[in-house]
Amino acid sequence: MILHIAATDRTPEILFTENPFHFKLAGESFPEDVSVFYGPVITSINSLSVAPQGPLRVEMVLTYINSSSIKAMYRIFEGIESYRKTGSVVNVVWKSDKDDDIMQELGEDFKDRFPELDFNIEQHDGSSI
Amino acid sequence: MDFPQAIQLRATLRENRVIMAYNGTVTDELMLMLADMLKARLVANNDTKRSKLIFSVFMEGVQNLIWHGNGHEDNSGMILITEVGSEIIVMCGNRVAKSKSEVLKERLIKIEGADKETIRQMYREGMSNSSAHEGPGAGLGLLEIARRSSQPIRYSFQDVDGTNVDFILAATI
Repeated sequence: MILHIAATDRTPEILFTENPFHFKLAGESFPEDVSVFYGPVITSINSLSVAPQGPLRVEMVLTYINSSSIKAMYRIFEGIESYRKTGSVVNVVWKSDKDDDIMQELGEDFKDRFPELDFNIEQHDGSSI
Repeated sequence: MDFPQAIQLRATLRENRVIMAYNGTVTDELMLMLADMLKARLVANNDTKRSKLIFSVFMEGVQNLIWHGNGHEDNSGMILITEVGSEIIVMCGNRVAKSKSEVLKERLIKIEGADKETIRQMYREGMSNSSAHEGPGAGLGLLEIARRSSQPIRYSFQDVDGTNVDFILAATI
């Protein structure tokens, strides 16, 4: 276990485990202070590139994210991209509800910004905001 | 306010199909409370896709009020959600320094004149840009609002006293 942050009604669950590396972020994201919440997450993602060890699987399952969290998410993806650049195998899965155009489009936007990442957008059943 | 004025206010709220009206200090706690109220109301409408658009616009609008309202003499903000025909209008307003309003106006003119595809491109570029604008969202919030709206954003700047301006942003969903 590298990192485990339980979900709250305004912050997502973050699960970061090793052997093999798996980073999962799931839920809603509109923390009161984005840098306080995402700072440690960005640091732990960035630390991967210092001593690369094997493949990394990334799973993003968001239902709502505010614009300042998107900035932080971008920094997380920069860390993921850095890890890919070390020659490690990286796989990203972006999951959203089939009725959620906003989250699906955001997945497309991140994919566009990080064109060299193996980035898969999936839609699944479910409901509620 | 006397009784006839209060009754008149209620009539105005009803005639304009006001879903939510708030004027006062806008805090993080208030945002959470109003967000819950709005969610409950939207769930009842049973249109998930549209509800998400409305919620997203509301959140970015209110967050703008929180981030840009502080430090000002009159740091209160207005949040107004009304129904017009089959559309929802989300309005957020606050008082801003005239100097700041010029920068904001330039930015709004750019967004207002852009088509959906251009807005999306601006948004994508804004995702990585952390310092171009004030606030934690660094300029992404207005693009988020524009992107989720079914019509171009509308806004108004009204001079208060030569140094301050009353600003209102309206998004239609």
